[in-house]
Parts: sequence; structure tokens; C-alpha cells
Amino acid sequence: MSADTTPGDGSDPTATSARAAPSGDIGTVSFQSVRAVAKKDFQDSIRSWLFLFLSVFFFSILVFPTVLLWYLGGDAPTAEATTAGLVGTVHEVTRLVIPVIALVLGWKAIAGERETGSLKVLLSLPHSRTDVLLGKFVGRSAVLSLSLFVGFFLAAFVVAILFGGFDLADYVGLFAVSVLYGLAYTSIAIGLSSLTRSTTIAGALAFGVFVLFYVVWETMLVAVDTLVQLDYLPGVEYTVTGPGGDQIALERPHDIAFLFHSFDPGVAYRSVLSFVTSVAEQDPGVVQSMEEAFGGSVPLFLQDWFAIVVLLFWIVVPLAVAIYWFQWVDL
Amino acid sequence: MPAIEVDGLTKWFGGTLALSELSFEVRDGEVFGFLGPNGAGKSTTINVLLDFVRPTAGSAAVLGFDAQEHSREIRARTGVLPEGYRVYERLTGRKHLEFAIESKGVDDDPQALLERVGIADAADRKAGGYSKGMAQRLMLAMALVGDPDLLILDEPSTGLDPNGAREMREIVRAENERGATVFFSSHSMEQVEAVCDRVGILRAGEMVAVDSVEGLRDSLEDGTTLRVTVDRIDDDALAAVRALEAVSSVKIGGSDAEPTLVVGVDGSKTAVLGALEDHGIEVRDFSTQEASLEDVFQSYTTGSEVEAR
Repeated sequence: MSADTTPGDGSDPTATSARAAPSGDIGTVSFQSVRAVAKKDFQDSIRSWLFLFLSVFFFSILVFPTVLLWYLGGDAPTAEATTAGLVGTVHEVTRLVIPVIALVLGWKAIAGERETGSLKVLLSLPHSRTDVLLGKFVGRSAVLSLSLFVGFFLAAFVVAILFGGFDLADYVGLFAVSVLYGLAYTSIAIGLSSLTRSTTIAGALAFGVFVLFYVVWETMLVAVDTLVQLDYLPGVEYTVTGPGGDQIALERPHDIAFLFHSFDPGVAYRSVLSFVTSVAEQDPGVVQSMEEAFGGSVPLFLQDWFAIVVLLFWIVVPLAVAIYWFQWVDL
Repeated sequence: MPAIEVDGLTKWFGGTLALSELSFEVRDGEVFGFLGPNGAGKSTTINVLLDFVRPTAGSAAVLGFDAQEHSREIRARTGVLPEGYRVYERLTGRKHLEFAIESKGVDDDPQALLERVGIADAADRKAGGYSKGMAQRLMLAMALVGDPDLLILDEPSTGLDPNGAREMREIVRAENERGATVFFSSHSMEQVEAVCDRVGILRAGEMVAVDSVEGLRDSLEDGTTLRVTVDRIDDDALAAVRALEAVSSVKIGGSDAEPTLVVGVDGSKTAVLGALEDHGIEVRDFSTQEASLEDVFQSYTTGSEVEAR
């Protein structure tokens, strides 16, 4: 970028980002700074009742199905009174509420401080902008993770007593994957919050992302599949051997549609759970038909372990993009 | 090495020019008053020094470090009282200071700092309940953490009562005696003239004057301005007034029906009135005005000439 002073040139981020990468301490990370910001954020952003509320909330969404499963005993058609049954039930709830809570905790993290001017207090001290984003991420993640921990820890006693037994691996698995899932949405929330100085826009973005992931993204595969079946979209043809030994020609959406689908954080959450815990998310019949659809073996992005990569992707990438973007903006 | 060195700084916000090739220097160890009316670009300049905004052109160096490349180094050695900030409502005053102390990696005593700015009794109250003046004192205390080499204070008197503003000036003096350079902005000369070694006056993004307070005072040509409203004026009377020893300048203003003489006087004012009456001119009204640094400021910042933008 030349140093001329034509109007509009300075505040245009595309123009400034064309400058050479900074060589000084811009964007450097200081562990001490991140810790100080995270601690400050934890103390400032959290009203004690909110933490208490979240802990009680997570406790209840574990205990309520536990009591229900215990009361119904083995009569329930879909789930058993075991930890695996509990995980299978609870994750349907957490898959919805963790994104909501993470987005609500995080949407104002940066935009709010920018709007009110308290970010100036933060950045008057020797923190880099990257320190601030990371510190905020750690602070908000800590709130979510700790309340998850308290809820899970206390509910464990109820589960153990009512079920008369306790599968530690499944229970801890649900907790750990839920924390990862929460980190992913916290990263998304902080990232969105750093894009604007208006909390109104930040709120709209957070809501938009929730709708995108929870409603739009998940239904995309179904929509594409429908269009393929109706021949509006080209698909991939394959044949299966029917019960009578006949060859049946079928069509499925292109691999890209499945890859896209697998990047939905909620889909990934479910897949990682079925990988980590003993909850078989897909019954063998489904697995078999999937294998047939892909000519014998399911591509790696549809294997459950790949979902861990997807969750890590959603933890790292939004924050990384935000860190890059945030270097260039005028506060 | 100057404490602050600004060179050809230009900043556009969209289509608005906030700073236009601004250049100035703040010497090591001085108290520099950065004056200008609201909207002149004072906060933009400070925001560039702290790397809150990036300049369109030009450069700024603080304590020898480039303001964009080494902002963390700068802020580690600088105490800042920003403008348009908000305190963290749910943190107590003490927590604010603990955060600043931890951030700067020093081991100051929060209580001592709060006492110094006069809000020690509110140390354990949440800052959300502080008045504007208390918040301002809290921010000053945070700026003092770690005995910084440079203090950047953006409109430090905002929200302070006259007593608070005086205490602020005392702290500025004490910090300067300790060895700190102080750079502070204000929209009022009054706040600045009592403590500053030098003053820079900013207008519409450009520095229109940089001088010592004494230098600005010397530029006040006339001790007192006498305004005399008369029924008429003639050349003889005018010449007689001009001839008086105490008179340094005479200008004619007002309307034709009621002309006004604006006379710079450094001595007897009654001699001027006497000379007019000797020439048969009726003095209808007169007033005197002591010239002040505020007038210098006014003349620089509200001049009637149109600036080419």
C-alpha cells in the first residue's frame, strides 16, 4: 500500500491488510497477559448467580432423565437405565443447549467492551490484541466448562445411586466431549464478537450462526439428497444387492455434501460421542448401508474419529481468523 | 531521545480527515499540554500513540519504540488514562488495581495507590457504583501503577470537581518530579497552563502552535483590552489616542451608528477616555478585559479564517 492519503484509504481493512506482515510485537502472545485477562474476564463477566444457575441447569438436565430412566426401568423402548442410555438421552439436550449457552456467554465478549470503551482500559495495559482474544476465550470457556463440571460431578452421585452402577468411561466421555463442543462454540462466539463494535450486530451474528448450524446446516444433506432423488442435482450412483439377490440401482448425494454435513459442530458432537462412549449412534444396518453407498468403506470424513478433527477445527479456526482480523481494525 | 515523536501523521476515517500531517515532539521529562477544541484530533493522536487506531500515513514513536510495531513495549512503560472508557462494573476498585499490577508484572500496593488518588474508602466497592469523578480517579491510579516513564492522560479533568482537578495537577507535578514525562490533553487552557512546561495547540487535525507557557504569554501583546463605545469617531481623536504612550494598538469596530474602539492599553485607561472627550467625543460605554492564555487559545482555535480542507 502506498502512503498516499486519499480519502477512505485508512479505515478500509482490505487496504490496510495488504500491508506487510508486522515485524514487531503485534500479535505476540504473553502467557502472563492471557492469564491476567482471563482471570479479569472470569471475575468481571460472571455474576455469581449465573455460574450457580448454569451448574444447577447442567445438574438437572442430567438428573431429570436419570430419574425418568430409573422410574421407567427397562420399559422404555429406546433407552435403558444405564449410563449409556443416559448419555444417549442427555446428548440430545446438550447438543442444543451448549451452543446456546456458549453463544450467550460469548457474543458480547469483545464487541461489548469495544462499544462501552472498557477495551481501552484493557489495551492501555501491556496486552496484545491476541492476548485479549485468547484471554477472553479462556475466561468464557472456563465459565462454561466449570459449570459443566460442577453439574456433572454432583449428578454423578444421583446417577450412581439410582442406577446402582456407573460407567465412568461413558459418563466422563459425555462430559469431555461436551466441554470440547462448548469450546468450539465459545471460539465461534468470541470470533463473531471481534468482528464488530456493535453489540447489536454481534448478537445478530450469534443468532444467525445458531440458526445456520442448528437448523440450516443439518438439513442441507437431507435437502441435497431429496434434490438428488428428484434428479434436480447430479448424484453418485451405486448398486446394492437386495434381499432376493437382485441388483438395485440407487443414487446418493456427492461426497462433498457428506463432507459438508460432517463439518456441522452438532453432527460432529454426536459422532465423537459415539466414538468415545459406548453409545452406538448408528445401528449396524445403517452402517452397512452407508458402507455400500460408498463402495465398501466409508470415507474418512464420515468415520467417527474424524469428528474430533472437526471439533478441533471449530475450536481453532474461528479464533485464529478473529486473531488475524483483529490485528488490523481501529478500535 | 524524545518521549514522543510524531512525524507526518495523517488519519482518515472513511471520508473524514482526522489528522493532517501532524508532527510534533514531546521532550523527555517535560509536562506537555495537548490542547484543542473537542474534535480537533487529540484523542485520535493518543489512540495512534497507543495503537488503538492505525495511521493512514506518517509515523509515531513513543519512548523510542515505533507505536505500531512495539506497542506492548510502549504500554509496559506508560501509564494511560484513556478517554471514553468505562470501568468494569462488577470489579471493585481494588480488583481494578490488582489487574493493572498483574498486567504490568509489578508489585505495587493497591491500597497505597487508591489512597494517593483519594478513593481508598471505596476500595472494596464495585466500580459500577462509582461516580464519574471516582472512576476518573480510579483510572488515574491504574495509570500510576509501576511508576511509568510516560503518563498519557486524555482529558484527565473530565468529571472532576475543581478540588479533584487540583489534586490531579498535584499528582502530575509529583510524577514529573519523579522523572516521568507527562503528556496530557485538554480542551481548556486553564487546566494546562498551571502545570505544563510546553503547550501544543491542535486545530482541525493540525498543530497550529507549539510553545512554552511563557512563550505563549509573551505573545500576548497587550496587557489589557479596552473597548469604548462612542457616538462618533474622527481622525483627530483617533490620532490623539494613538499618540498616547500607554496605547499599543487601536482598532475600530462596531457599527456606524455606534462605533467601538478596541484599544490595547498597558497603563492608564482614563487617559484614553480623557483624550476622546477632549476631542468632543461622547463616551457611551466602555469595558476592559484582561488578556489571558485562554485568549491565545481562542485566537488559535476559533480564528475566523476559513481553513482549506
